[in-house]
Amino acid sequence: MLTLIPAVALLIYLTIALQVFRDDKVAYVFDTTSQISVSIAGQLKTKLDNIVKLTQPILMDLSQTEDFSRISRAFLQFDSHLQSMAVMVWSERAQNYEVGPVLEKNAYTFEKFWLTWRAQWNPSLVQVFMNQTVVTNPFLDSRFVIVQKVDRPNSRPYLVILLFDLAEFTEQFETLSAQSFYLIEKNGKILLGPKKALGQNLRDQIPLSFLRLNQQVAGSGVEKINDQSGAAKLASYASVGWGDLYVVSTVLESKALSAMNVLKRKSILFFVILLAATTILSLLASSSVTQSLTQLFEATGQVSKGQFDVQVDVQSQDEVGALAANFNRMASEVSRLMGQTAETARMENELQTARMVQETLFPAPQADLGPVEVVGFYEPASEVGGDWWSYTQVGQSVYFWIGDATGHGAGAALITSAAKSAAGLIESLGFTPSQALSALNRSIYDVSRGKIMMTFFLGKLDLKTMKMSYSNASHEAPFLFRHKLEDQPFKKKDIEFLNEVNNPRLGQARDSIYKEVSVQLGLGDLIFFYTDGVPDIRDKKNQDWGEREFIKNLISAVNSSPRPKEVMAAISENIQAYRQGAALADDLTFFIVKTKERVMSEGKKNEQVSI
Amino acid sequence: MNKFQSKLNRQGTKVVVQLGGIIDEDADFTALAIQDAQEVHIDMDEIKSINSCGIREWIKWIGTNDKSKIVYSKCPKVIVDQMNMVDGFLPSSATVESFYVPYYNEDSGSEKNVLFRYGVEYKDGQVQYPAAVNDESGQPMEMDIIENKYFKFIKSKT
Repeated sequence: MLTLIPAVALLIYLTIALQVFRDDKVAYVFDTTSQISVSIAGQLKTKLDNIVKLTQPILMDLSQTEDFSRISRAFLQFDSHLQSMAVMVWSERAQNYEVGPVLEKNAYTFEKFWLTWRAQWNPSLVQVFMNQTVVTNPFLDSRFVIVQKVDRPNSRPYLVILLFDLAEFTEQFETLSAQSFYLIEKNGKILLGPKKALGQNLRDQIPLSFLRLNQQVAGSGVEKINDQSGAAKLASYASVGWGDLYVVSTVLESKALSAMNVLKRKSILFFVILLAATTILSLLASSSVTQSLTQLFEATGQVSKGQFDVQVDVQSQDEVGALAANFNRMASEVSRLMGQTAETARMENELQTARMVQETLFPAPQADLGPVEVVGFYEPASEVGGDWWSYTQVGQSVYFWIGDATGHGAGAALITSAAKSAAGLIESLGFTPSQALSALNRSIYDVSRGKIMMTFFLGKLDLKTMKMSYSNASHEAPFLFRHKLEDQPFKKKDIEFLNEVNNPRLGQARDSIYKEVSVQLGLGDLIFFYTDGVPDIRDKKNQDWGEREFIKNLISAVNSSPRPKEVMAAISENIQAYRQGAALADDLTFFIVKTKERVMSEGKKNEQVSI
Repeated sequence: MNKFQSKLNRQGTKVVVQLGGIIDEDADFTALAIQDAQEVHIDMDEIKSINSCGIREWIKWIGTNDKSKIVYSKCPKVIVDQMNMVDGFLPSSATVESFYVPYYNEDSGSEKNVLFRYGVEYKDGQVQYPAAVNDESGQPMEMDIIENKYFKFIKSKT
């Protein structure tokens, strides 16, 4: 359809253009042939006028001398066309015009002519006396005759016969070309023209309307007629102005319009080629677009099935090409994001696994170790954390560990894992806290080379004496709440800090020296161990809890119940109330160790029970 | 944004360092060359916070000069807490010229940092508390710290 519409439009345009061109060409041919006919007629008239004018002085001389004088003979020599000139004089004896004086360039010229033509003389004579000058070529060759009447006073008029040659005109009419030229009389007789047509009547060949009898004829005109064979011809005619002579020009319309026919054929050929080329190009373009869209369709189908690494190969620079390029970019981006998502999921899975593994490093959050109870809490800021706490009973001693690696996340978690491994070995060897931290320091230093450090607090409680020795590697000092009666709530000033000794962080230097001190615990004493993540919790407005609120809430929790589980629950509740779901800035770790308040029986002095 | 800020001013053999903002893993101490100074004076008035990574960088930096006199001045609470807790944060060669003690009034919630100066509010392991600290409305304020813990570095220097 897209090809057919411009093809029809082009065909209509071609038809109209050819018709306009044809009409214009016909008009041009008419105009040209008419001008030629008029021109030839004009030339012929001029020639005849000149010949007749040349005879005027001769005729004047004749009127005086009744014969051609020597002067007349001299005039005759001036004109190349005029061959002879004769005067026909009325003969009373013969009661007819007879040949009178004759003027000729060559002897017997007129005599030879007259002997042949005298038989045709009479019709011409009639015309002459009808005051019509007779111009004809009686032998259908280049010899022309003009017969004129010359009136005389008191006598019958002379009839002057001029015999002259118009060879150059004859050649012009005989020359074969696309156009045919005729010199005809009004009755249609062909005087000059193609040799085959001489003497014939043009009306028999071409029904020219201006040759019809009694037809008023203009000086010139054009006609389009069909000849005997039916061939269309374009004709023009022009009156010579002498006698009833006309110059007629005819040309076959097919020849006149041959250029147009050539143009028409070439135009049709061009049109067909253009139509074919347009059709082929349209089909090719349509095929190209179809193929491109098919590729895109198949590619989108693959994408819908989850195959995102598909690419389409469309090289075109049009909108389809741009669409394909955008599709390729989109598919690549989706593929990249899918890969990224898969990688993220894989890493998340690995971190979840790491978290599960790290959780195994922590002890049970609650324990009853005879004379002491332990309750702990741990929440990493991300999947894995850098805090670690633990407790282990070895014989009559219990080790209490709490540490915080530099930063948090996977790197810190790996160090805590190493610390846990070393701690297990240290506990089995029964090391004192200072020995333990020294050994742990070397272990961490060897692993991290000073890049990651840990603060650590290690207490070793003798369950028999309730004396706890401890060493601190720059960790937050635990809070010691000495037992008080229920009606005597704790205040800030009641808090003791286990900060009598401080040492470098683990991993800071391999040969660091760690010191320890001991503290005597009594019945009902409570120790709160924590990392700096506790006072650093933030609310939704990113405001730190701060030391003041932390201690205030801790004291409140300790005062709320003598049971460590309930104290732990109160602290956790206060922390969650402040956070309101906000993310942790740092890992959150704390645990409570509380000695039981009463001895069970006199027989079991070393056994204690909680209330 | 409280980004870490530092400024070093050399006055002959003395170097005055001004620190501010947050000291964390992004804090760059490499431009603060103090190893050749005979006296290093560190003004900490504008420090906002410090985390464990910042402490690591601090100790590495301050350890580049362990022979000269080092003076800490205008230490905020976040620094005093580290001096008390982290061994090496306050080197044995360092003294504290002044530090801030936070006060507050529980009823009004007003807070104030009072600068304690060596030789005035404390000296030789002893703290001479100001007679009274009042807020702008004249209400008495109390120290917002645990004294045993907060002034521990003073006693450890005696």
